[in-house]
Amino acid sequence: MDRRKVLRFLGFSPALLTGFPAGAEKAPAGLSSQASNASDLITVMNPAIAGKLATRVPLAPPLDGLDNKTIYMVNLSWEGPDAANYFYDTMTEWLNQHYKGVKTIVKVTAEGMFGSDPSLLKAITASKADAAIVGVAG
Amino acid sequence: MSRWAKQIQMQCKIPAVGVASSNIVHYATGYVSKYQTGMPIRYVSVPFPFTGQPRAVDVGYVTGKDMLSGRPLMTAVISALTSPLTDEEKISGEPPEEAVEPRFLPPDSEDNLRVMFDNKEWTDFNTIILPTEKRVTEMLQGTSHKPDEVIKTINITGGARPLTVEKVAINAVMAGASPEHFPVILALATQAPFGNSTSSMANMVVISGPIRNKLKFNCGTNALGPYNRSNAVVGRAFALISKTAGDLRNNVNAWETLGNSMQYNSQCFGENEEALPQGWDPLHVEMGFKPTDNVLSVGTGWSSIASVGASQSIYPTHYLMRDYMGSFCASGSAGTVVMDPTVAGLLKDTHGFSTKAQLSEWFSQNITKVNASYWGNGVIQSTAVPFALQGLEPYAGWRKMPDDALIKPFTNPKAIHVVVAGGKVQTMWFVTDFGIRRGVLIDDWA
Repeated sequence: MDRRKVLRFLGFSPALLTGFPAGAEKAPAGLSSQASNASDLITVMNPAIAGKLATRVPLAPPLDGLDNKTIYMVNLSWEGPDAANYFYDTMTEWLNQHYKGVKTIVKVTAEGMFGSDPSLLKAITASKADAAIVGVAG
Repeated sequence: MSRWAKQIQMQCKIPAVGVASSNIVHYATGYVSKYQTGMPIRYVSVPFPFTGQPRAVDVGYVTGKDMLSGRPLMTAVISALTSPLTDEEKISGEPPEEAVEPRFLPPDSEDNLRVMFDNKEWTDFNTIILPTEKRVTEMLQGTSHKPDEVIKTINITGGARPLTVEKVAINAVMAGASPEHFPVILALATQAPFGNSTSSMANMVVISGPIRNKLKFNCGTNALGPYNRSNAVVGRAFALISKTAGDLRNNVNAWETLGNSMQYNSQCFGENEEALPQGWDPLHVEMGFKPTDNVLSVGTGWSSIASVGASQSIYPTHYLMRDYMGSFCASGSAGTVVMDPTVAGLLKDTHGFSTKAQLSEWFSQNITKVNASYWGNGVIQSTAVPFALQGLEPYAGWRKMPDDALIKPFTNPKAIHVVVAGGKVQTMWFVTDFGIRRGVLIDDWA
């Protein structure tokens, strides 16, 4: 039986017979260039667009400890608020066990993960929170 | 997520740590930090999935290990909030250098250039036409717009990339288009990039107006199949523009977990306007355009369900459509029904829908969904739950209803579009969850 037919029957490309992996009809990088004459070279235009790098912003100063601190827990409601609530309940329990006087506040964002919520930022400031945890998303 | 953490740190002046799965952390600390926030936000990472899990599983994630550092997760959280800032985390101001992309690539052999384009993920991994300057110049003859005109800035994953007419022309050449296609592709480029979501979105491109016939878009038999050059090259151009101008790369900033094969040509087709029943307006006319306008409309969604209908008079085709549409998530009340002219004729002549709008209204009034099924969809959870929590109706009311209650999730009939295409070969239709945005006038790009 023709080897090409056998390969097709098995679901493989007959290109395997050429010694190169199926689909690798193009010569590997570097191979052709060594064999190319200058007259074979072509110039093409670049489809890519340079991305503007973001202006760097430093992190806010860290805390020196968590005793007697207020931690704001922002629930982004990614695929619903339940998972973040489970996380934050457990985190609150853990923090209360390990730090004295720590207080947590959990708030769900008004428009989920993708919207905006200026009132939340005002609420965080008004609460005199010392740090924030933002989550969860997958 | 990084946006929230950045806002809190900048506006509230307090440290913030993000909690996310590893793919989000990878994206956030790499691409997003570089091109979008400029802030090296600290993250901890939890296993995925955490949604839809019993409470005990999520509790275990919090009491377990941080997937980034291997330390106990809460130890990592505390460290993120209290560790001194590194020099890298203190940097402010403009970045030292901007990324640069030369207008021309270094000369090379055709084979090597093809390999490079694939390696850069600038293609759909089908063979492209290499964009020589001569070919791009010829493509630019298809429009009166200047090559350096910026038609939009692509910033969906950061980078604020200015998409020029010339860049669109390069992609149009790569896709195999001709200059006469170029105004259509420019109009389409205003809608780039295509859907890019972990939920694995896709797009639908509908061509309306006389240009369908002038450029021989397929509106008839096999309208949605690989049987027509204009449908193929225009749809393909959308994928190439999205990838190059959007800089979309797999596992870098394109995180569609399954992906979507409809992204190869975004279901580009023309409406069979000549076969519309009397009284049924073309898609673009329903949007307020003139019948003589040439318009391109882009929809975003995920899926379609197909059926041969109209075979049983006791259960007519619009009943089947209604039933199947109830399977969709109804995000934004969006849906699009693509039907053969034979189906449109039956719906009008036998079942009395004298306009598309009447049919859309009927769907809106008659498609029901089990309440728990509606809320079970992750997209709805992410988008509609916040509205419900704010007390916005109907979401707040639905959220209080029993799980087995029936709701009517397609609240806005104007978001349900009807498009007629096909060759009158079979009483065939697709119901889809694609939400079509307002059309773009192709004539503006001639």
